[in-house]
Amino acid sequence: MDVFESLGKIFNVSLIYATFRASTPIIYAALCAAVTQQANILNVGTEGIMLVGAFTAVAVSFLTGSWILGVLAAMCGGAVIATIMAIGHIKYNSEICAIGMGINLFAIAITKFLLQVIFNTSGSFSDPGIDPIPTVHFAFLENIPVLNGLLNDWAFTEWFVIVFIIILQFLFYKTVWGLRLRAVGQFPMAAQTAGINVNAIKYQAILISGLVGGLAGAHLSLGYSTQFVENMTNNRGFMGVAAMYFGGANPALTAVGCLLFGFSDSVGARLQAYGFPAQFVLMMPYLVTIVVLAVSMAIKVAASKKKESSLITG
Amino acid sequence: MSNSLNGAVKILITLALALGIGAIFILAIGQSPVEAYGALVKGALGTKLGIGNTIAQFTPLLLTSIAFAVAASAGAFNVGVEGEVILGGITAAYIGINWGFLPVPLLYLACFLGAMAVAAAWAYIPAALKAYFNVSEVCVTILMNTVALYIGSYLVSGPMSAGTATPQSDPVLVTIPKIMKPSSANAGVFIAIAAVLVVIFIVYKTKWGYKLRTVGTNPTHADYVGINSKKVFINAMLLSGMLGGMAGCIEVLGVHGYYLDNFAKDLGTNGMLAALIVKSNMLFTPFIAFFLAVLKAGSMAMQQATDVPKSIVDTVSAIFIIIATMEFVVSLGKRRKMEHEAKAVANIGSKKPDDKKTGKEESK
Repeated sequence: MDVFESLGKIFNVSLIYATFRASTPIIYAALCAAVTQQANILNVGTEGIMLVGAFTAVAVSFLTGSWILGVLAAMCGGAVIATIMAIGHIKYNSEICAIGMGINLFAIAITKFLLQVIFNTSGSFSDPGIDPIPTVHFAFLENIPVLNGLLNDWAFTEWFVIVFIIILQFLFYKTVWGLRLRAVGQFPMAAQTAGINVNAIKYQAILISGLVGGLAGAHLSLGYSTQFVENMTNNRGFMGVAAMYFGGANPALTAVGCLLFGFSDSVGARLQAYGFPAQFVLMMPYLVTIVVLAVSMAIKVAASKKKESSLITG
Repeated sequence: MSNSLNGAVKILITLALALGIGAIFILAIGQSPVEAYGALVKGALGTKLGIGNTIAQFTPLLLTSIAFAVAASAGAFNVGVEGEVILGGITAAYIGINWGFLPVPLLYLACFLGAMAVAAAWAYIPAALKAYFNVSEVCVTILMNTVALYIGSYLVSGPMSAGTATPQSDPVLVTIPKIMKPSSANAGVFIAIAAVLVVIFIVYKTKWGYKLRTVGTNPTHADYVGINSKKVFINAMLLSGMLGGMAGCIEVLGVHGYYLDNFAKDLGTNGMLAALIVKSNMLFTPFIAFFLAVLKAGSMAMQQATDVPKSIVDTVSAIFIIIATMEFVVSLGKRRKMEHEAKAVANIGSKKPDDKKTGKEESK
């Protein structure tokens, strides 16, 4: 009886929103990685782009008192960082992992530096002057018991992510630009022969990825919480990259992968109340990510082997 | 030889650029870059304590940077060195505390071997996943770092806790003697240098190392000539893990004398930084590791002497790495341009997705 009661407390309706809430920053990060992955560029710098976005969002929102300006500035900040990466990778032949990690380290250092210089604090910065991303309140839901708790008072960017997944899905698979992007990713030489400017497409992909990454950061620091903490992305960027692998850079499938990590995160948080050591709870989303990534890639490898052998024998 | 001279010149130019950009940042906050950099160098190399601190910083960096470089020479991007350091450290602490029945020399050996074995086993996981299932080792190793951190943190605040307020273990029974008190520089630096020399010899002068470098340059070619590229890839990661474990062991036995939670913070990251700056060239890596150690050791003194926050040092190192990864500094005019063009063509060719597959079918 006790077990059922506890299970009921862990797996209840509010877990659905908790899962979604924990997933949203990772979904944005994963979409940031998905845009470049379509052009066959592994965006290791997602984490750094996101962190710069998070800092810019808080700083601008605090200084101007407007969350819209904060979000826009964050997207621009992300784009600037991404442009550095794009120039390095495309023009100067940098290895993408190397420059991506460089970008990540730079993001951690520069946000720390600016936090000290601009706000004169270290560690974290929170202030009532920071204007957070507003929540969306539906008055008509107030009287409906379950839906009220489930759908009311989401942050604006949490609703927007759903729209955004659809937009990207459309962009990748239904537009000329998307076709070109995927052509560049799958076979750059053929794309070039077909008259596509490969480098231009790559620049555009990384730039858009920067905008998305900045938005991811803004959501993290203004929507998910209302503060900036040093290294607050806490590997969410890399979880996003892992989810992107899981979903094969398809926005919808990628988002499903993110929900899985969000789910393990929220269940873990509830398990902590039942005496599980905090460290195990904290490492859960990371473990789940690794296992899911390994299994999904193993299935892919097995499937492609099967295809190969059927080609040879048939 | 002219090639490595050329390389050294390039690194120096890159360094000057990075320091220049750092100077702009310092000027922007109204401080003097000359004073700041002066205080930094003086803090790191001007006093006996400073030199000791630099050596203490240098020891783990040397091992972690070579650990990254070894993996990179077989084509692996091993971000997981930090996790290996943590697990090596906790293993060394466990053996050092509990295996008192061994005579002292054997206990030292057991600590090192145990740390290296556990760290290598940890490195085996991403290596095997990459080799057999093509799972990105970058992703897996980064996530595994966090897992390792929490494993260490759990052990040291639970089963292995000394019962103190800060999460730390009981003191180990054997320690590596300090060489420049009061800094935490210890004789581990000699072990590290010896280990690195051995590894460099293995990689550049033995058949095993030749296989490693062949796989790193072109795995398909390696498979053609009968080298099992997957096995070699995993071996490189194992060696990388062993070096990381050794770094953890030296930190625990030499610096702290017990396992301290979060002791490995940034050790792996900075090692990776050092290796990336010189594109994992093992002959240059130790020098960059030393340079980064100077920066780290001097940053505190700089922050105290001037009003420049020490995070500027991390910023400069990050800029250093970003510029260094670019083929930015053009030296030999025309020849370089030709190389560049040849590479661009090769790049497009190699990105053909089914390259490997068609190759195999042809060979059949």
